[in-house]
Amino acid sequence: MAARLSGGGGALTYFLAAAGLIFIVSPLVVVVALSFSEASIATYPPVGFTTAWYQRVIVDDEFRQAFLTSVTLALASTVASFVLGLPAAYALNRWEVPGARTIETILLSPFILPILITGLALLQFMALLRMRDALTNLFIGHVLITLPYLVRTVTASLKQVDRSLEEAALTLGASPWRVFWRVTAPQITPGIAAGCLFAFMVSFDDFPISFWLSNAENMPLPIYLQNSMTKVFDPSIATMSSFTIMTGILAVIGLEKLVGLRRAMSV
Amino acid sequence: MAGSGTATDLALSGLTKVYGTNTAVAGVTLRIGAGEMVALLGPSGCGKTTTLRMIAGLVEPTEGDVLIGGFRVTRIPVHRRNIGMLFQNYALFPHMSVAENVAFGLQMRGLAKAEIRPKVEAALSLVRLGDYADRLPSALSGGQQQRVALARAIVIEPNLLLLDEPLGALDRNLRENMQVEIRQIQKRLGITAVLVTHDQEEALTMADRVVIMRGGKLEQVGTPEQIYSRPASRFVASFIGTSNFLRGNVAGYGGGMLRVSLAAGGQVLVPWPDDGRREVLISVRPEAVALAPLAEGAMPEIGVPATVQQVVYRGQTTHVHMQLADGEPFVAFLPNRVGESAGQSFAAGDKVSASWSPQSNWLVSDA
Repeated sequence: MAARLSGGGGALTYFLAAAGLIFIVSPLVVVVALSFSEASIATYPPVGFTTAWYQRVIVDDEFRQAFLTSVTLALASTVASFVLGLPAAYALNRWEVPGARTIETILLSPFILPILITGLALLQFMALLRMRDALTNLFIGHVLITLPYLVRTVTASLKQVDRSLEEAALTLGASPWRVFWRVTAPQITPGIAAGCLFAFMVSFDDFPISFWLSNAENMPLPIYLQNSMTKVFDPSIATMSSFTIMTGILAVIGLEKLVGLRRAMSV
Repeated sequence: MAGSGTATDLALSGLTKVYGTNTAVAGVTLRIGAGEMVALLGPSGCGKTTTLRMIAGLVEPTEGDVLIGGFRVTRIPVHRRNIGMLFQNYALFPHMSVAENVAFGLQMRGLAKAEIRPKVEAALSLVRLGDYADRLPSALSGGQQQRVALARAIVIEPNLLLLDEPLGALDRNLRENMQVEIRQIQKRLGITAVLVTHDQEEALTMADRVVIMRGGKLEQVGTPEQIYSRPASRFVASFIGTSNFLRGNVAGYGGGMLRVSLAAGGQVLVPWPDDGRREVLISVRPEAVALAPLAEGAMPEIGVPATVQQVVYRGQTTHVHMQLADGEPFVAFLPNRVGESAGQSFAAGDKVSASWSPQSNWLVSDA
């Protein structure tokens, strides 16, 4: 096992972890606390305790529509990123592809390009091509930013797989296809799961792409939240935000149940 | 059991692999008989591993052919070559039990479960791991893991068994046991085998024939005894065991012997035909050398004068390190008897005469 942390390095590590916890978790706690407030505007500290906002939000058609749009979009983007990213990462790492490095850099480039600008560029590009279906456009835009997560995690997992395992399977008579399913896939599953989780959350939480590509009928949750906030700032905003937070927590729990968080995040 | 069918021979013909500007293997031609075990031995980068991987089909040759049982398999992919292979890191599938690992190759051949089970059991009992069928590989020691890998490789009744530094990760005692065990199983099943190793003892212990490789080419091919006692070159003589090298000029010929006067002084007789060479390089194994005290300024009639530099007691033998008049090192391994150390009579600074029987002289090329 790893040695116990002690001394100056240990203290710094604990300090940074505590700071991370405070700045990441406490704002979320504030939001959740507000969602139970009896006050008619969202102010801290919350007043009293009520579930009225939840009862109101849950039957709000606009909210339900936005939530459904976001979940659908996130699931579709995740599936598409998986279907495109897995073979791409595999080919780039296992076959001799001319220009593999360049292709990988291009696939990962959304990581470093400013997403807001990418969204704007996409909007103009799609207008030029007369692509008017907002849902399709959103889907394409989201896949663009979720695909790198699959490519990245699958690549990292593949690099950890011992090549001699695959070679041993080949010598034992397994075709390359069966080597992949029987030997490679079981070992990169945690990485794939982690990539899918990232993809789902990035899409579910996306604002800068959706900001340009959504319209009134196809409005993902983050855009809907932003719109609502400019109209009225009552605790229902906090309630809707709590739903978003819960979705994230559920996704993480799902990953933990499926492959174990530690294994998935180790790639 | 596996391998009870017909053993197949292996032929390599002009096998070449070029990576960019680097030629890893340069025109290797070799014939390996059915049931024979051949060791490819050489320093790292000599091309032995690339050669093995070309035989397996894991590396595509730039030129040349691989023939298994007379059939050209150069363009046949790995998974249809029917080859068993052992890897240095065992390469067991970590997510499968021992039995599932061994069954893998049989499943790939489409055998029914009822056929697979007895074969797996037989293979595991052959490597004495019958009780470990349900364990995961991670629960086994290194030696046990390699035995599982051996069972997995032979259960498919391969035409060839390829061993890529299979014991490199094991400690010394275990390695010697495994060398014997793998060799016994290979002989019993009569599988043609190719072993890659950089460990000369492993090659000499396990193989029927040893192939010394250097710079992508075959340097010498022969039985362990031939390689050790009749090395073709200075490289082979110094790579296998320890050797002394003496420069000299042929001074005469008679009675089937060359008379060579040595650059370091003294002279020796070499049983060698007079093939016209004048400058020669003689290889002498240290265990052939006997030492005798030499008076100051005297010259031995047969042998070479030397100055003792260091005497090292090594249990079975005493190593006497010397320096010759031309500055070259020279070493003798003297056998020790219990209660009497052979090196006792020598100390640093002593002048000695080193001599040996003419049969211990062997001419090698200076490369």
